[in-house]
Amino acid sequence: MIAVKNLWFSYTPGGAYLLRNLNLTIKDGDYISVLGENGSGKSTLIKLLLNSLTPVKGTIVNDFTKPAYVSQRFENLNSQFPITVYEVLNCYRKTLKIKDKNCISNSLALVKMSDFSQALIGTLSGGQCQKIFIARALMGNPDVLILDEPSNGIDQMSQTEIYQLIKKINRGNKMTVISVEHNIKAAMENSTLIYHITQGSGHLCTPDVYINESLPINTGGDRYASL
Amino acid sequence: MLHYSFMQNAFMISILISILCPLIGMFLVLRRYSMIGDTLAHASLAGVAVGLVTNINPIISAFFVTSAFGIIIEVLRENFKRYAELILAITLSLSVGIAITIISAGAVHTNVESFLFGSILTVTRGDLYTVLVLSVISIGTIVGLYQQLVFLTFDEEGAKLAGIKTKFINYIFAVLVAATISVAIRIVGVLVISSLIALPVATALQLQKGFKITMIFSIVVSFVDIILGLIISYWINAAPGGVTALISVCLLLLTILLKKLHVYKFSSRQVKS
Repeated sequence: MIAVKNLWFSYTPGGAYLLRNLNLTIKDGDYISVLGENGSGKSTLIKLLLNSLTPVKGTIVNDFTKPAYVSQRFENLNSQFPITVYEVLNCYRKTLKIKDKNCISNSLALVKMSDFSQALIGTLSGGQCQKIFIARALMGNPDVLILDEPSNGIDQMSQTEIYQLIKKINRGNKMTVISVEHNIKAAMENSTLIYHITQGSGHLCTPDVYINESLPINTGGDRYASL
Repeated sequence: MLHYSFMQNAFMISILISILCPLIGMFLVLRRYSMIGDTLAHASLAGVAVGLVTNINPIISAFFVTSAFGIIIEVLRENFKRYAELILAITLSLSVGIAITIISAGAVHTNVESFLFGSILTVTRGDLYTVLVLSVISIGTIVGLYQQLVFLTFDEEGAKLAGIKTKFINYIFAVLVAATISVAIRIVGVLVISSLIALPVATALQLQKGFKITMIFSIVVSFVDIILGLIISYWINAAPGGVTALISVCLLLLTILLKKLHVYKFSSRQVKS
């Protein structure tokens, strides 16, 4: 469970708050999609949950012990980097001190990428690459999986596969999932709850409620939506 | 030529250098830190100067002084996050400033040139033992930290989140770079150490293989570079630093050329069929 209480955050000390008085409880087994405009602080919230930023005010109580994170794909990847898929997974395995070598082939099988174990990471397509990073995240049997826009820049087929897989491990294995999304359709279809951030404050709602709230804003009213 | 004991020492040190330099170079190049290697190589001249003035073995003094500069770079990096190259200018000014002041003040009565350009003749058995100890410890540390270093190099943010103590490893790595440079100073000289750190890796990168294979290939390349450099410099009576640097550039250009030919052949064959 993660309990965020009265969270305030700003990147500059004394500067304007990016996140204002957030309250959020994430229960075990939830699949929460975090939605909001660009710059609304979605990724910042994720970094706070991952403990790589500290809140200015308020508390975050996090009793998950094995978090796994899949960052935005195009952020830091150097496609010229000389490393095979196997090596990417193996250094993660060694870092987490997982003894079982089979967990590499198992997690590759899970994302249907078994044939690519010796491929260079830079030769993979966006979707294939994302699947490898999801496979990596799943290797340590995490209790919470945190994703930052998993479908960003990825072909339709890989998107479908990725969301099916995430949904399956969320519903089947009861793994908690927190995902920053721009892909509203994916958020509606897969998540159990939506955390909607606007102008620094947020609230939790079900996908249905979110649709009713945001449709008029995004579509210019019911009249347009009904056309 | 191998019956001279100085030549035996030089060869043995060269073999150690040819293993250690690309091992470190691999991580430096892939983290886009090749210039840090270059800066620290120049900084080591301050260490050599200090050693010559205080009568400490210059390899050992270079190791300690260069490590100190390596750590200074790491500390400064926290303060100048957006201007990484500025740190190098600062470090270079301080270290080379110290070196030039000591050397030009006439406090040093040895031939400094051999440390700048590299030398075969001046290598002693004592140097060999110093280099051996530094190399074994460094190679052992790299092997021990290999997976963490690979992770950190490929994905620093992910490594941090997976629980790798990135700051600690960065400091250890700075000391490893210093050790590598101190080991290489005698043979290749301060001015061209970076050619042995970066160029074999650049050559191996042309293969476009995985991490381990690239690393092994870069060791092979650097072995060829330095042994050829040693032999040729012996015959033409030049400093090994210059010759080694030239050979490493030639080998890189040759590899790029062969690769282009291969790609050309491959594509023309495809056109025919």
